[in-house]
Amino acid sequence: MEEVAFFIGAIGALGAAAAVVALKNPFYSVLALVIHLVFLAGIFLLLMAQFLAASLIVVYAGAVMVLYVFVAAYVGGIEEPKWDASPELRVIGPIMAVALFVAISIAVLGSGLAALGTPGPDDIPAGFGTPEAIGHLMMEDFLIAFEAASLLLLVAAVAAIVLAGRRRGDKGSGTEQRKVLVKADEQANAQVAGNGEGA
Amino acid sequence: MLDLVPGLPLADTNFVDATWIMIVKSIVIFLVLLQIVPILLLVERKLLGRFQQRYGPNRVGPYGLIQPLADVGKLLSKQAFRPKGAVPFLYELAPALTIISAVLTLAILPFGDVKGDVGFYGIDVPIGILYFFAFSSIAFYGLLLGGWASGSKYSFLGAMRSAAQLISYEIAMGLSLLGVVLMAGSLSLVDIVKAQGEVWYVVPQIVGFLIFMVAGFAETNRPPFDLPEADAELVAGYGTEYGGMRFGSFMFAEYMEMLIVSGIASTMFLGGWMGPGPGWLDPIWMLFKMWMLCMFFIWIRATLPRFRYDQLMSFGWKILIPLGTLNVLVTAVLVVTT
Repeated sequence: MEEVAFFIGAIGALGAAAAVVALKNPFYSVLALVIHLVFLAGIFLLLMAQFLAASLIVVYAGAVMVLYVFVAAYVGGIEEPKWDASPELRVIGPIMAVALFVAISIAVLGSGLAALGTPGPDDIPAGFGTPEAIGHLMMEDFLIAFEAASLLLLVAAVAAIVLAGRRRGDKGSGTEQRKVLVKADEQANAQVAGNGEGA
Repeated sequence: MLDLVPGLPLADTNFVDATWIMIVKSIVIFLVLLQIVPILLLVERKLLGRFQQRYGPNRVGPYGLIQPLADVGKLLSKQAFRPKGAVPFLYELAPALTIISAVLTLAILPFGDVKGDVGFYGIDVPIGILYFFAFSSIAFYGLLLGGWASGSKYSFLGAMRSAAQLISYEIAMGLSLLGVVLMAGSLSLVDIVKAQGEVWYVVPQIVGFLIFMVAGFAETNRPPFDLPEADAELVAGYGTEYGGMRFGSFMFAEYMEMLIVSGIASTMFLGGWMGPGPGWLDPIWMLFKMWMLCMFFIWIRATLPRFRYDQLMSFGWKILIPLGTLNVLVTAVLVVTT
């Protein structure tokens, strides 16, 4: 039974991840990413990591992907110029991709698979994967890493606000806002037209 | 403790009862709340009528009591029409998605403690309230896909509004509940109700309760925050191109979500199933509290006009979120020091 559940989750997650890359329409790519996250949450549940599963859905599918969908839906109808890489990028790109793959593989093989070959979920400690257990890990064992990560996010948020404020320049008058609204309207038109062709 | 499916070690779900009881329970919970939705619909229309100095529906049956049945009959017999510009599969998927996620959330509402061998709730998961947030964020994709896939400008704008509304209000909603979680020391809804034996959390967490209710109006797209379907500007927002029972599903899900938000508010702040009287009254108390909060939703709908869109956004980001953060901070300090 658990094998069946695992393979459903794994095939779904891998298939959706492939679809993210393969699909041409950015809106569908984002939707595929959402589906991928849902299947991944299923695999987490199978690993008794219920808190991780829930936070994956709440944070990623519920908040981050909503922003992605928002952006993709607005700009989705506009033809995107085909990517034309410079010769240097054509060489460096694949090298970086392979290097990243090797680094992640080393990290995973070096630590995460230690549980392979053990009896499995029958002898996990009580309360494993609950919010309490995760909280203890974050607040006791990995406090510094946890606080450093939150500091990093705070810096990123402040930087985003500063950058957005600088780009806006002078305080937007009414005309500025109207321009934005008109643009949104045009994009909605373009999106609708794009849908019609797709159907 | 028994697993739902023997051999499938899904996360620890605190099951106290046998599998067949689980199935019976889910059917009972679903059927009871399914019956409440049409009653709520009728009561809302009747009350709105009275609020506006008119009678409301009074033609079908005595006092118009059979009106919801007539409505459902009409919706079911309509043609399932799809506009030319709509995206085929997603257009049909959207209403189903909203309704599935709404019904799944019913599982965590507790209607009573464990009595004998039966827990008076669907499931009692340790992640508790996060389950509610997870499914409400999936419900959003129903609205978004509905609006996007309809191929209509009004639907699209409605969907975009609901996306912006969601990201502004979900954070405030989470923060408002965090105070309760800190005080109860648990995320499980059953434990949270049990922790309210002495005093309901609406007293110490009044700020959290108010924030939760405001965010709840935004979450359920109810007036005065019904901007995704603002009928004066967007025809019917994400639901413009839907007809028949697909429209009915969106409608049904909206009322189901109203019941769920009321249920979560009763559980987190109003003592859940607690009330005077013998133990068998517990589910009735819970339903009574949910019902009263639903009446509050209707009352607000009849009282307040719709907000403007930028007012809604700045209210969420500039008032509710800082207030919620402050509430959590004060609660945390008090919980640690006392």
